[in-house]
Amino acid sequence: MSEPRSLSVQSVLYGNAAEHIMTAGSAISHSVGLARAEGLVGDWALVLGDCSPTQVFTDDSIAPLRSVIESHGGRLEYVVFGENLGSAAGHNALAKRSDSDMMLILNPDAQVSPDALSVLARGLTSDVGIVEARQVPFEHPKEYEKHTGNTSWASTACALTSRTIFNRVGGFDSDTFFLYCDDVDYSWQLRLAGYRVVYEPAATVFHDKRLTIDGDWPASPAEVYYSAEAAILIAHKYSRPDLVKKTIQQFRKQGDPAVLKAIAEYESRKLDDRLPTPVDANHKVGAFIKGNYAVHRF
Amino acid sequence: MKSNSQNSTFVDMINVVATRELVDPDLAKHLAAVEALLRAEKDNDRPFLTVLLRTQGRRLEPLKDALLCLAAQTQQDFEVIVLEHDAAPDDAERVKEVVARLEPGFAQRVSLVEVEGGLRAKPLNVGIQAANGQYVAVFDDDDLLFANWVEEFHHASIGAEGRMLRAVVANQSVSPEVWPQDHDGFRTSSWPKAEFPTTFNQLNHLVVNHSPFMSWAFPRSLFFTFGLRFDEELTVCEDWDMILRGSLLCGVTEVPALTSIYRRWQDGGASSYSAHSLESWKASEQRVIDRINNGPIMLPAGAMYQLRDLLIFTEALNGYRFLFKGHRLRQPLGLAWEMMSPAVSLAVRARNRVRRLRAR
Repeated sequence: MSEPRSLSVQSVLYGNAAEHIMTAGSAISHSVGLARAEGLVGDWALVLGDCSPTQVFTDDSIAPLRSVIESHGGRLEYVVFGENLGSAAGHNALAKRSDSDMMLILNPDAQVSPDALSVLARGLTSDVGIVEARQVPFEHPKEYEKHTGNTSWASTACALTSRTIFNRVGGFDSDTFFLYCDDVDYSWQLRLAGYRVVYEPAATVFHDKRLTIDGDWPASPAEVYYSAEAAILIAHKYSRPDLVKKTIQQFRKQGDPAVLKAIAEYESRKLDDRLPTPVDANHKVGAFIKGNYAVHRF
Repeated sequence: MKSNSQNSTFVDMINVVATRELVDPDLAKHLAAVEALLRAEKDNDRPFLTVLLRTQGRRLEPLKDALLCLAAQTQQDFEVIVLEHDAAPDDAERVKEVVARLEPGFAQRVSLVEVEGGLRAKPLNVGIQAANGQYVAVFDDDDLLFANWVEEFHHASIGAEGRMLRAVVANQSVSPEVWPQDHDGFRTSSWPKAEFPTTFNQLNHLVVNHSPFMSWAFPRSLFFTFGLRFDEELTVCEDWDMILRGSLLCGVTEVPALTSIYRRWQDGGASSYSAHSLESWKASEQRVIDRINNGPIMLPAGAMYQLRDLLIFTEALNGYRFLFKGHRLRQPLGLAWEMMSPAVSLAVRARNRVRRLRAR
């Protein structure tokens, strides 16, 4: 029987409440502990990268979390970046601090279920680039194949990937993406390299998203800006100049300051020759469907 | 009315009588003693909430979701009683395994109780008997909670002593499916839609239940002071029955937040809708209605206007009874009425609003 694969769980913090990180840390420790007991995970570490203006933990305040991790046979590393690197660059930086076989990309305040790590580890077979957990209570609507779980892209709210494959495709494209679509791009890079991207509903993670009383999903101006910026950039990267043009036209018509700012950023990058080289010229993996990056079930 | 000034309907009724200028002082004294007894109920040593989680162990993945939702609540001052009801031996074992795998910090507030026999209400009454919370909520094993479910109940409970608390629920469609790694799972197939009313209307609830079980937190006093229990004779509608009897006695404080998702099973997914016959539903509904009808009821402030509007509208409709044959509009008038009735309804509402504004 082969040695259990080692694991690094990495989260990028930005202004999170310390108690939420503590709760999430307890949940991941427990889930990893169960996976270790089943021989699915070997050595492991929780690596936190803090991008907050004021760091979330002091040496003293992080001690209880360290104790929890260590009680489950793990190691805690807390890195203060001192600047907001964003999701893509933050995770790339954290990835360099470990040489584990597997990497779990996890939202810092997301609470995994007890079974999550076992199910994800079983799902990360040699032909799979990344396995995504199902988010609760608000499930992502993207389509996935019955039985196989094959899907267009994996959200990195909670997803397990192989380090070898991560390195092979160059990790997240932090030159292009700051906060959104870094996971869409990473998934598509994996698929271009011949790996499957798998949605594994039996692995669950609680992600604290809420709806308004009327059932709407409120988006902050920052979310609108970064998702708009990412929408233009990913269309450019995946060889869809027609969509870039159409999206910009739509955003201009919309007139929201956040989306106009996203257009300005794109044009500035274009002027400075900072746009990524387009890939997937034959549109093998890039899916742009009604403003989404996959067919949606709802 | 602000939540910090709300009494239960029963206490309001006592106050109305006790504060009359010419009330018999002895009666006023006894009524004050009753009110004091009700107010003495609160015990801060108790957890805020007891969550009764019914399961038959047939859907383990939704049960795991339900437990994860509870573990992730922002307000953790609650206990959970998992009521495993008549599960097949293998299913019962699996439920035990699920509970045994919970994170220890959370697991210490979760107890598992096996209940044998009886209908849907039996495990609830077993749970009530074991409940320590100041409030009791029922959360079935296939529904979902947002992180603020307990927190919003807690917030609304402040100053709403003895009242039932009602939050807003969305619903979402799911159907059975086998997942990768051969798990018996399900597929979510719709957005959570906020289709249940955002505010509580007592009279509308007399007609049909508009509030799924997990909308509610029931005050402990409902069970341990007033002595209500779930009706174990009901095959279904045990929730509606308690909601009606409780709300008429206690009154309802609104929780202005959407805090949970009710899953509607489709494509062969069993639910109380599919597991019970139409006759069973009708008989249960009739039993609920008869029980309410056979006794006096208290209605909350504001019901007078709504009742008057209803009666005026009914009276107006009675004038056109000749249009009906049996309970159906005669053809072709039926079609014309169908087209006109929304407009008529709007006109009546507008007229009533104008009348109310003029009356102020």
